[in-house]
Amino acid sequence: MNVINDLLKIISDFVAGIVNSIFSFSPFLADVVTMGLAAVVLCTFAALSFMGLTYVERKVVARIQDRVGPNQAGPLGLLQPLADGIKMFTKEDTTPAAADRWVYNLAPLVIAIFALTTYAVLPFAPGVVGTNLNVGVFYIIAIGSGSIVAIIMAGWGSNNKYALLGAFRTVAQLVGYEVPMLLNVLPVVMITGSMSLTDIITQQTTLNGNPGIPFIVFFPLSALVFLISGIAETARSPFDLLEAESEIVAGFHVEYSGMKFALFFLGEYVNALAVAFVFSTFFLGGYAGPVLPPYIWLLLKAAAVFFIFMWLRGTLPRIRVDQMHNMNWKFLVPVSIVHLVVVMALMKLFVTSPAQVQANGGILVTPGVQAAILFTASLAILIGSLLIAARRARIMRLQEEAILEQRRAENIAAASA
Amino acid sequence: MTIQQVLFIVIALAVLGSAVFVVTTRNLFRAALMMIAAFFGIAGLFVLLDAGLFAVAQVLIYIGAISILVIFAVMLTRGMQGMVPRNSQATAAAVTVAIVFAVLLLLFGPLRLTIDVARWPVLSLFAANTSPRDVGGIAWTPPGQVIPPVPDTYIADFGRSLVDLNQYLLPFLLIAFLVDVVLAGAIFIARQRRPAEVAEDRQLQAEEEAEEAEAMRRAGALPGPASLPEGAVASTSDH
Amino acid sequence: MQNVLNGIPLWWYLVVSSALFCIGLYGTLARKNAIALLMGVELMLNAANINLIAFWRYLAPASSGGLAFAAFVLVVAAAEAAVGLALVISVYRATRSIDPEKLDKMKL
Repeated sequence: MNVINDLLKIISDFVAGIVNSIFSFSPFLADVVTMGLAAVVLCTFAALSFMGLTYVERKVVARIQDRVGPNQAGPLGLLQPLADGIKMFTKEDTTPAAADRWVYNLAPLVIAIFALTTYAVLPFAPGVVGTNLNVGVFYIIAIGSGSIVAIIMAGWGSNNKYALLGAFRTVAQLVGYEVPMLLNVLPVVMITGSMSLTDIITQQTTLNGNPGIPFIVFFPLSALVFLISGIAETARSPFDLLEAESEIVAGFHVEYSGMKFALFFLGEYVNALAVAFVFSTFFLGGYAGPVLPPYIWLLLKAAAVFFIFMWLRGTLPRIRVDQMHNMNWKFLVPVSIVHLVVVMALMKLFVTSPAQVQANGGILVTPGVQAAILFTASLAILIGSLLIAARRARIMRLQEEAILEQRRAENIAAASA
Repeated sequence: MTIQQVLFIVIALAVLGSAVFVVTTRNLFRAALMMIAAFFGIAGLFVLLDAGLFAVAQVLIYIGAISILVIFAVMLTRGMQGMVPRNSQATAAAVTVAIVFAVLLLLFGPLRLTIDVARWPVLSLFAANTSPRDVGGIAWTPPGQVIPPVPDTYIADFGRSLVDLNQYLLPFLLIAFLVDVVLAGAIFIARQRRPAEVAEDRQLQAEEEAEEAEAMRRAGALPGPASLPEGAVASTSDH
Repeated sequence: MQNVLNGIPLWWYLVVSSALFCIGLYGTLARKNAIALLMGVELMLNAANINLIAFWRYLAPASSGGLAFAAFVLVVAAAEAAVGLALVISVYRATRSIDPEKLDKMKL
C-alpha cells in the first residue's frame, strides 16, 4: 500500500539518487541535472496530456451536441491526436511578407514556455513539487500575465491589421480578468497565512490539526468567480470571441500555420489544464483524499474541473465583447471586493486559535463553525449580488421595452398620418 | 568564480544591453520589447538578492501591466508605423549622462576619496563620526562584517509593517489614495470626448483666440481698428 | 573586505543600478518622442529599485524598511506610467503629435 501511495516520491528519490551518484564530484552539477530532468518530465507530462485532452474534448463536446466525434483514426478514434500531430508537422510553414521575423517566430515559443512554467510550482504529491516557492500563488498569476506579452508579439509580428486588432482585444480581456482572479485568490491566501501552494494544500488536509475542509466550502463565491476568470484567462468558450473563426478571422494567430499554430494550440490547452490544476489546489484540496494515492486524487479533481470547462464549451453560446467587459468590471470586481472585505472582517472576528484571541481579541470558534460562517456569508453575498443584478437587468429590460413601444407607437402614428 | 557571480554578470549584461537598445532604437515597438527583456533581467537580479516577492511583483506589475500600457500607447499614437526621428540633442545628453555616471561611481563604487571632515564641516551632516574618513566607497564596511541572512518570515514581516501604526501604515494609505486618484484621473484624461464637448472645446478656443487678437490690436501690434466697444470684452470668460 | 554575498560584493549591484539609471537618463534627455521619454523614466525607477533592494539585502535584511520603500517606488512608478501614457494619448488626440518639444504652450 505504501509503495502505491508514495509511488511518485519513490521514483523521484530513486532518480535523484542515481544522478547524485553519477555526478558525485560536483553537487552543483547534480542539482542542475536533477532539475533539468524534472523539467523534462513535467513538460512531457504536459505535452502528453495536451494530446489526450484534445481528443477527450472533441469527444465530450460531440456527445453534448448529440454526435459521435472522431472515430475514424484508430479504434474509437484514439489515434486522432496522432493524426492531428502529423497534419500539423507536415503543413507548410509560411511567414507573411514584411513581417518582423524575430518577433513573429518567437511569439508561439514564448506562449508555450509561459504555459509550461506554471507547472513548476504545482504539488503533485506530498513532497513531489518542482519548487516549493514561498510566493507560489503570486508566481502563477505573474506567469499568467507574462504570457499576455507573447500575444501582442504574435499580433504585431504578423503584420496584419486584423491580427493586431485581435491581439489587442484579447489582451484587454486577459488583463481585465486578472483582477477578479487575484481578488479571489486572496481569501485563500489569507486563511492559510502563506502563499506557498504546499501550505495551502496542507491547510485543507487533516494534518497539523487542520479540519480537512476544502476551501470551496469556505469560499464558494471565490471558487465560482475564480473558475469564471480562469476560463476567461485562457480564452476558452464562452469567452473565445476573439479567436472565433466566424468573427475576427481567428484573431491574433491568423497568420500562423503548421508547427507554430500547434504551439499556440498547445499553449491554450496546457494553460487550461494548468488552471484546472490550480483550481483543484486552491479550492478542492489538491492531492488530499482518503483512500486513493494522492496523485490519483489530484488527477481526478483536475479532470473533473476540466470536464466542467468542456461542458461549458459545449453548452453556452459565445458572449459579446461588451457583455464580457461589462460582466467583469461591473459585476465580478465589485462582488469580489465586497466579498473580500466581508470575509476579512469575519476572519478577524471568529478566530480558531486561542493564541490569536489573546493577541488580537475575537470570538473563539472551532474550525467547522468558522467554515460554516464563512460559507453562509459567501453564499449570501453571491445570492444577494445575483438578485441585485437580476433586478437591475429587469429594470433595463422594461426600459428598453418601453422605448420600443414608444417607437412603435410613433411609427404607427407617422404611417397613419 | 561562484555560480552566482556568473549569473550576475550574465544578467547584468543582458539588462544593460537591453536598456541601451531601448534608448537608441528608432522602432518604438522594438524598444518596448527590449524594455520587457530588461525588466525580466531585473527580476532575475531580485531573485539573486533573495527578494523573491519583488521578483514576482516586478514581472506582474512591470511586464504584465506597464509594458502592455506602453505598447497600447505606442499603437494608439501611430508609433507602430512611424519611426522616431533622430535627435540633435543626443550629444549634449550623452555628455551630461557621462558626468552623472562618473559622480555616481565615485559615490558608490570602490573608488575612494579621502576627505577630511574637519576641513569641510558641512560633510558632518552626512557622516556620523567626524574623523577623517573615506567619502567614496559607500559600499565599504569594516572587515569582518557578516551579512545577516534574510529571515524566513520576511514576507509576513513586510506585510505586517505596512499595517502597523508605528511603521509604514501612513505611506501605505497615502499610496492607496494615490492609486485611487490615478485610476479615476487616467480614465478621465484619456476618455473619448463626446461630440458636445468637442464642439464646446472648439467654441472656447475660438473665443479665446478672438480675445487675444483683440488685445493685440488694441496694443497696436496688429493692424486694423479695434472692433468691439470697451464694455463688451470682459463678458466672455464666465464659463 | 567589502560586503560580499555569495561572491557578489555590494558595489557590483550599485554599479549596475548607476549604469541603468544613466542609460535611462540619456533616454529621457535625448529622445523626441514622449513615449520613449516615459520608457527612460521607467528604466530610471527600476534602477532605483535595484539599489534599494541591494542595500536592504546587504545592510538590513531583517527590517522591512527597504522592502516598503521599494514597494512604494514600484507602485508610484506604475501609477505615473498610467497617468503619463493617458496624457500622451490625450495630447495626441488633440494635436496629432507627441513631440514634447512642440508642447510649449499652456493650452493645446
